[in-house]
Amino acid sequence: MQYAETLASFLLEGDSAKVWEHLQKHRDLSRLEVYQNLITPAMQHIGFLWETNKITVADEHLATATCDFVLSKLAYSRDKIESGQKAMFLCLDGEQHYIGLKMVNSLFEENGWETKCFGPSLPLEYALKTAKEWKPNVIGLSVSIVYHLPKLKEYAAECAKLRHKPAVLLGGRLAGKYDLVPYCAEGTVILRDLLETKEWLQNYQAGGQQNAIF
Amino acid sequence: MQYFNQTLPLAFLKADRNGEILSYSTLARDSFDLSDGNLKGIIDEESIEKLVHYSRGTGMEPVKLELNMKTKDAPLALFDVHILWDSDDCANMIFLPKDSSNEVLMNKLLELQGRLASTDFELLEKKEELEQVLIRLNHLSGPFIPLSESMCLIPLFGDITADKINVISESCLKSVFAGEYGEILFDLTAVGEVEDKGIEKFTQLIKTLNFMTGSIIKLIGIKPNLAKVLNNYKLDEWVQLDQSLKQVLSFYLDRKEQGAS
Repeated sequence: MQYAETLASFLLEGDSAKVWEHLQKHRDLSRLEVYQNLITPAMQHIGFLWETNKITVADEHLATATCDFVLSKLAYSRDKIESGQKAMFLCLDGEQHYIGLKMVNSLFEENGWETKCFGPSLPLEYALKTAKEWKPNVIGLSVSIVYHLPKLKEYAAECAKLRHKPAVLLGGRLAGKYDLVPYCAEGTVILRDLLETKEWLQNYQAGGQQNAIF
Repeated sequence: MQYFNQTLPLAFLKADRNGEILSYSTLARDSFDLSDGNLKGIIDEESIEKLVHYSRGTGMEPVKLELNMKTKDAPLALFDVHILWDSDDCANMIFLPKDSSNEVLMNKLLELQGRLASTDFELLEKKEELEQVLIRLNHLSGPFIPLSESMCLIPLFGDITADKINVISESCLKSVFAGEYGEILFDLTAVGEVEDKGIEKFTQLIKTLNFMTGSIIKLIGIKPNLAKVLNNYKLDEWVQLDQSLKQVLSFYLDRKEQGAS
């Protein structure tokens, strides 16, 4: 937890150089481990600080922006392998918590996927328009605020109706916290954290029956 | 629940420790749906815990909390809530909506971050490009030119650095090994600055060539500045020196003519 607190304090200071330096101390970790064991706990700790009235939403915004910058730097790599698979990622309309989504996006990129990451708050109509034109193999949805849950049903249902039948994944803070099955459509895969996402990805690439696990 | 008929510029509510609303101001009635009669009805589910645990400060100091509220206009709106408990154990609360101008600033900040990030990566890309160009440049700074079956020429261009000699060595050794050259000429006329590390590498290259082929190695076109540096490396036993390529070639051509006549 101490690591998370240190990293969280750098993020809240908006000091991307310090954050980067801190992450560089753990060069032996894979990118997934950096996300899962360092960044996620730090961002969760920042949420906790708001809940305990230590920081404001403005502080959270700064931390998010700093984190975003560092994630981009982390994900930047010149060796681009190509798997020929396409995936698009988006947060439901109004949902501003996109750091998790961005990490998932970069996991897919690392595995050679061509991706479009729309980040926070994408209205359903835009999502569907892109999905129909670009025909991604995977559509990843993210939701973190309970209030946005009712919209999820519509997003999941509409994505499931797409003619080219993409795999629809659902993640975000709520996926690990509540049972979201009632809000999903048939075939929606709920991924509770990055490890599950990685496993799903490996299964998908191995051509396994990814839905059978869940 | 009592209507509190005072003209206040901000929404005001008074509630007991269970969250039951005791009285409310005009603006509170206009902003929030108070039909529940309880604070739980107007506060976002995930902010309730925060209110329960952090609404009391030490002593009688007022407390400031950021809470997500359900208003009549928006299902989720951020407010600064100022709370002061009175002697009847009731919370007097004033609701200050978070200024949306903050949002504009945050968006600007995000934009700037985005731009910085892309500039950063562009620079990184340029740096890598530059490195590639330098390697390429090094490659081209020591071309291998076979002059005849038995003689080859390697003119060196530019500064002599360790990196450059490393790059040149590889292709040079390969080319020399592929042919059977009795004489290997290094033309140093176009050499600019010399680095110690570069000369060390160059000496190594000459020794390697010598061991590998036993050929005569000639250094041509040594300028005064280069002569001073080379002097420290005792190259005499490995190489012969000539003033210019012209000299070497005319000697070679003469020899050929003599052989022919």
